[in-house]
Amino acid sequence: MIAARLLAAAILVAALPGVAAAQSAARGAELAAERCASCHGEAGRSRLEDIPSLAGQQAEFITLQMILFREGLRQVPAMMGIAQGLSERDMEDLAAFFAGLAPSPPEDRRIRDPALYERGRALSARMNCGVCHLQDYRGRNQVPRLAAQREEFLARTMAEYRDGRRVGADTQMNGAVFGVSDADLAALAHYLAQRD
Amino acid sequence: MIRRTLAAGALAAIAAFPALAQQPAAPVPGWAVGRPEGSTLAPHAPRLTVTPLDQVPVGAIRLPQGFQAEVFAHGIPGVRSMVEAPNGTIFAGTRAIGRVYAITRNPDGTTRTRVIAQGLSQPNGLVMIGDSLYVLAVNRVLRYDNIEANLDNVPQPVELTAAFGLPTEQQHGGNHHWKFATLGPDGRIYTNIGVNCNVCDTDREVFATLVSFNPDGSDRRIEARGVRNSVGMAHHPVTRELWATNHGRDWVGDDNPQDTLIRVRRIGEDHGFPYCVGNWADPQFNAGRNCSEFAQPAALLGPHVAALGMRFYTGSMFPDAYRNQIFLARRGSWNRARLSGFDVVVAHLDAHGNVTRIEDFLTGLRDDANQRFLDRPADVHVMRDGSLLVSGEQMGAIYRITYRR
Repeated sequence: MIAARLLAAAILVAALPGVAAAQSAARGAELAAERCASCHGEAGRSRLEDIPSLAGQQAEFITLQMILFREGLRQVPAMMGIAQGLSERDMEDLAAFFAGLAPSPPEDRRIRDPALYERGRALSARMNCGVCHLQDYRGRNQVPRLAAQREEFLARTMAEYRDGRRVGADTQMNGAVFGVSDADLAALAHYLAQRD
Repeated sequence: MIRRTLAAGALAAIAAFPALAQQPAAPVPGWAVGRPEGSTLAPHAPRLTVTPLDQVPVGAIRLPQGFQAEVFAHGIPGVRSMVEAPNGTIFAGTRAIGRVYAITRNPDGTTRTRVIAQGLSQPNGLVMIGDSLYVLAVNRVLRYDNIEANLDNVPQPVELTAAFGLPTEQQHGGNHHWKFATLGPDGRIYTNIGVNCNVCDTDREVFATLVSFNPDGSDRRIEARGVRNSVGMAHHPVTRELWATNHGRDWVGDDNPQDTLIRVRRIGEDHGFPYCVGNWADPQFNAGRNCSEFAQPAALLGPHVAALGMRFYTGSMFPDAYRNQIFLARRGSWNRARLSGFDVVVAHLDAHGNVTRIEDFLTGLRDDANQRFLDRPADVHVMRDGSLLVSGEQMGAIYRITYRR
């Protein structure tokens, strides 16, 4: 009787999404060590200019971007070949791994410029960034975490959306930054990069 | 000093983008006009990975008595618009994943899916003319000749982009630039040019229109104005009138405005965007216009439901009551506190073509208790055998609806 109950409990545990996610993340960790760490950093924290940190990034966002790389829709040569060599399960496992890492700013994050930070804060409020990315900019689902991301990467990404050189899950970002000046994007990037 | 720098930056921006000169610095982006403070509503995440068959929610689908649902094809991430070729191949367009699929039936009744084009921007507009498949991807127009005979060796498409001259993604400001397209009974290609914002004063001779072209891109004609964004249209099989679904704007409350079904009785007539939707005056953009000036919708389809693909039922499998009635897919809301749509409804018409009622047809994909959805119907298609295909964009599956007496 007790054995049957234990068995039932074991089956229940195996079916819990948390357990599957842990297995997925463990497999993702192995893949990440081979394929990702040299550019995106050991713990998903990038030390390289223009390469984003992935620690704490939203899993759905990562999977979606990998598909966009695979399909040639997001054109980053270094990533397209890697994505073409991965199964969708690989992508989802990598996403689970990176999503589970604690996010933190890059070691070389610049010193805060209070005026630029304030300008970025005001812009973000006016442009409603926190509606989708949430007020602490941790993101959700297909909407990426922005807090503590590399500043130059954020600025370049927003310029790409603005100039029609980057696509997303939908066209929200293309509309959101349409016509925004480089100076405003720089302020936004600084503010978001400074957030923890 | 800081102030001077900001002013210089703003001047430089105005010089670089003359269109911005009328706008204040860092305007609220077009999509967010009217958004209330503190709202965190956002579009739902798409799923672009393959959904295994055992996760395709066909078992949840509810239909009227006598109808059955089966999975026609699956493993087609992002599947949306559908068109049938002369030998029965179903071509399907997508948005985010940038692919065009070809789905053929194997002798044993199963299907085979091929990717015949990829890396395109939002290739959601598909038209079949004879043996040629036209793909409308934002402003790009590609023609794949003799495509059905060459599914394994897809020919280089003929580029018709310049001939059609549709607005680019940049000209749309990143808004509503994806296309739905259909072949009219007059042999012309009909498509939408959605509005370049959520809601705004816009060039109404370009944006928020339905247009038609000769198949070579010549002789552009505005079929209807003031149509915010239509992602589904079809011609009545008897009257040959153009009908279309139309999406209402966002951020003006859970219950306003309605998505609409429109009937174009006169070429070029005005359906009221941004001033009015039916008799509803836009609280920000009405500009003192009387809503009775504009063509009235044939039916109201519900707020934020995202009415998409529609077809008149011209088959013989379903009961007579469905003949020449409109099946339409409601992909489901995001800009609303509680979910609505995520179903297929039927618009019943009387002998004069007036809509008498909107009736639920395919339901069960919206889980009200948990405020989640199982799939998102994006288009419908009447097959030659009279069965109805429904594309499920979220799960990358096509459902086939049949009827047995």
